[in-house]
Amino acid sequence: MEQQEEEEECISSAETSPSLSPKNALLTMAGNMDEAYKSSILSFPNLKLLECHGQIRELQTIIRNKSTTRNEFIFCADRLIRIVVEQGLDCIPTYECTVTTPTGMKYTGVKFEKMTCAVSIVRSGEAMEKGMRDCFRSICIGKILIKRDTDTNVARVYYAKFPSKIEHRTVLLLYPVLETGATVKAAVKVLKDHGVQEKNIVFVNLFSSFKGVESLLKKYPEITMLTSEVHEFCPNHFGQKYFGVS
Amino acid sequence: MTTSRKISTAARSSEIWSISTDMDSDPEETDNTPLDQSFGKKKKRTIYTAGRPPWYDSEGQGKEAFVIGLAGGSASGKTTVAKKIIESLNVDWVGLLSMDSFYKVLTPEQHEAAARNAYDFDHPDAFDFELMATTLRNLKNGKRVDVPVYDFATHSRAKYSRTMYGANVILFEGILSLVNKELRELMDLRIFVDTDSDIRLARRLRRDIAERGRDLKGVLKQYNTYVKPAFQQYIEPSLQYAHIVVPRGGENTVAIQLIVQHVKDRLHQRGFDVRSKLLSEQASVDHDSLKILPETKQVCGMHTIIRNKDSNRDDFVFMTNRLACLVIEYSLSFLPFEDYTIDTPQGVPYNGKKFTGKLCGVTILRAGEVLEPALMSVCKDVTIGKILIQTNDQTENPELHFLRLPGDISSSHVILMDATVATGAAAIMAIRVLLDHDVPQERILFVSIIASKLGIQNVAYAFPQIKIITTALDPTVNDSYHILPGVGNYGDRYFGTGSSD
Repeated sequence: MEQQEEEEECISSAETSPSLSPKNALLTMAGNMDEAYKSSILSFPNLKLLECHGQIRELQTIIRNKSTTRNEFIFCADRLIRIVVEQGLDCIPTYECTVTTPTGMKYTGVKFEKMTCAVSIVRSGEAMEKGMRDCFRSICIGKILIKRDTDTNVARVYYAKFPSKIEHRTVLLLYPVLETGATVKAAVKVLKDHGVQEKNIVFVNLFSSFKGVESLLKKYPEITMLTSEVHEFCPNHFGQKYFGVS
Repeated sequence: MTTSRKISTAARSSEIWSISTDMDSDPEETDNTPLDQSFGKKKKRTIYTAGRPPWYDSEGQGKEAFVIGLAGGSASGKTTVAKKIIESLNVDWVGLLSMDSFYKVLTPEQHEAAARNAYDFDHPDAFDFELMATTLRNLKNGKRVDVPVYDFATHSRAKYSRTMYGANVILFEGILSLVNKELRELMDLRIFVDTDSDIRLARRLRRDIAERGRDLKGVLKQYNTYVKPAFQQYIEPSLQYAHIVVPRGGENTVAIQLIVQHVKDRLHQRGFDVRSKLLSEQASVDHDSLKILPETKQVCGMHTIIRNKDSNRDDFVFMTNRLACLVIEYSLSFLPFEDYTIDTPQGVPYNGKKFTGKLCGVTILRAGEVLEPALMSVCKDVTIGKILIQTNDQTENPELHFLRLPGDISSSHVILMDATVATGAAAIMAIRVLLDHDVPQERILFVSIIASKLGIQNVAYAFPQIKIITTALDPTVNDSYHILPGVGNYGDRYFGTGSSD
């Protein structure tokens, strides 16, 4: 079944997100954020936070640093993406199988279910496709184009194209920066509208804000979310710097 | 006349060779150990011979090299004796250190005097004995040393130096080699080559006139002014410190055979049989140093493909590269990172981390190279050294054949890479090489894809401060040192050189 349609939809995120556009609002929000709130966000059962070793923190530091060159930024972003994607792939269902090694011994391992696909949210989600292909050469990749009006904070879906039988697949949803959650929630809604079960969606992300996690996982508690960092501030220049076009 | 002097010393430069190689080494060889291999063919596969067998025990502790001092007057035949000893010893990895490398750097005035044959090259003051003693001591302790290359045209040390590393036997030759007490104490055997002074003068005349185009008068003048007094005042009295005096120099085959037999006996007492010891030794150690990549389903899935004997090479190589990237990233997390605060485009400072040290990779050829692309893909400009270690089919011991390491390795963190660790014999040898190059244990990360429990035990027991990082720990090793259940020959499967491919 080939899906091809353009949806135009209006999603209001007002019920969970306060007005977020100006930087001042962010700063005020961070100031009010207490440790109890932070730990309540981090204890969402379906939130998987990458174990933060020094070398991952170093990558995040370089990506966030405003004086990093674009060349270095892309290199480090690709490295971090690959680490996160490897973790994301770990959510694919498996079944046990036994093979024979060249020494004639048996080795009990696993194989992966075939029905998997990735869906990237245009544009910055596409930055993660290369990392996905590096780990899973033949994976099918769907796309969703969402534009968000910064004044009204309304996310609109302009375009969506998915692999066939997406309703039976495990979907790895790719988007690097989760700030308000509006864009990703719009994408999840599109997937659900196409018959994908919420529990089969794995949201693969690099940077997210506490508010974004709260907003997304409260609305869709069954999806699995994987990220490298939950922080008061997001490097929301990510897509701009990665592709070099504002 | 200065250029002729340079030619004459080419034969006396300090170097290391294995016994099967040609004695004439290239004096322009500037960097690491010059090692030529002789080839042998076996089952259609080219194998290398003449590697360096283990120079340490199964606990990785090095033994001192055997040092032979060779003294004697000018043109007494020291070099000939040294070469004959090396030829007859039939021991691989013999180092020849010459006093000529340690002439002091001359001032412009002294340089001018030397051009007029008016500088005394035979006096002890002409040599840098302090550097000589340090170099010989380090070499005896198995350390890598930088031997200066003396340029007789300018009477200064060349910008490059010759690296010497890895000698089981060191021959130290020079006219005054037995004069200095500190040097004498480093020698296990001291030999004085005693050739009649008339013969020595005759040889010197012939050499200087025929080979160097000098006139009779000048040669005699230099002989009487410097060479002869130095012999009488310093060289001849040092004969009392010799264990053995060899009359007539290189012609004296009986004396040389006696020396060779003695050295062989002494070396035999120090022999090591590392592999069989490693296989039997079951010393249990706490694996504090062992770090295994968390076994996720993905890692397990990659192992399933890598270990399957029926996997095609395309999948095998792809999965190896994927796994290699994961294990390299995981290894990097054990480097020390410092706190580092940066400014963000959002205008808020961010407390991050930064690695401020230096990093280099060292691969154990050939299988270690499967991890190399992964390291290069995460650390763009990392320097990579190589160590070739092969198992000797007869002794079943590992042998060191080839070595190129980054120059600044002693100040770097080192990621040592091998695909598999069976008994750990090759790993122990490679780590010993790194330690000999002054890399502290704490700065070595030894990374592999599959390791056996036995191999980890052996490596961790020998070098407890090293971090050992792998993706899977297999229970045993079979009689042909293959890991069980294992992957077979990793290098052959990755590079497609196995018999079935």
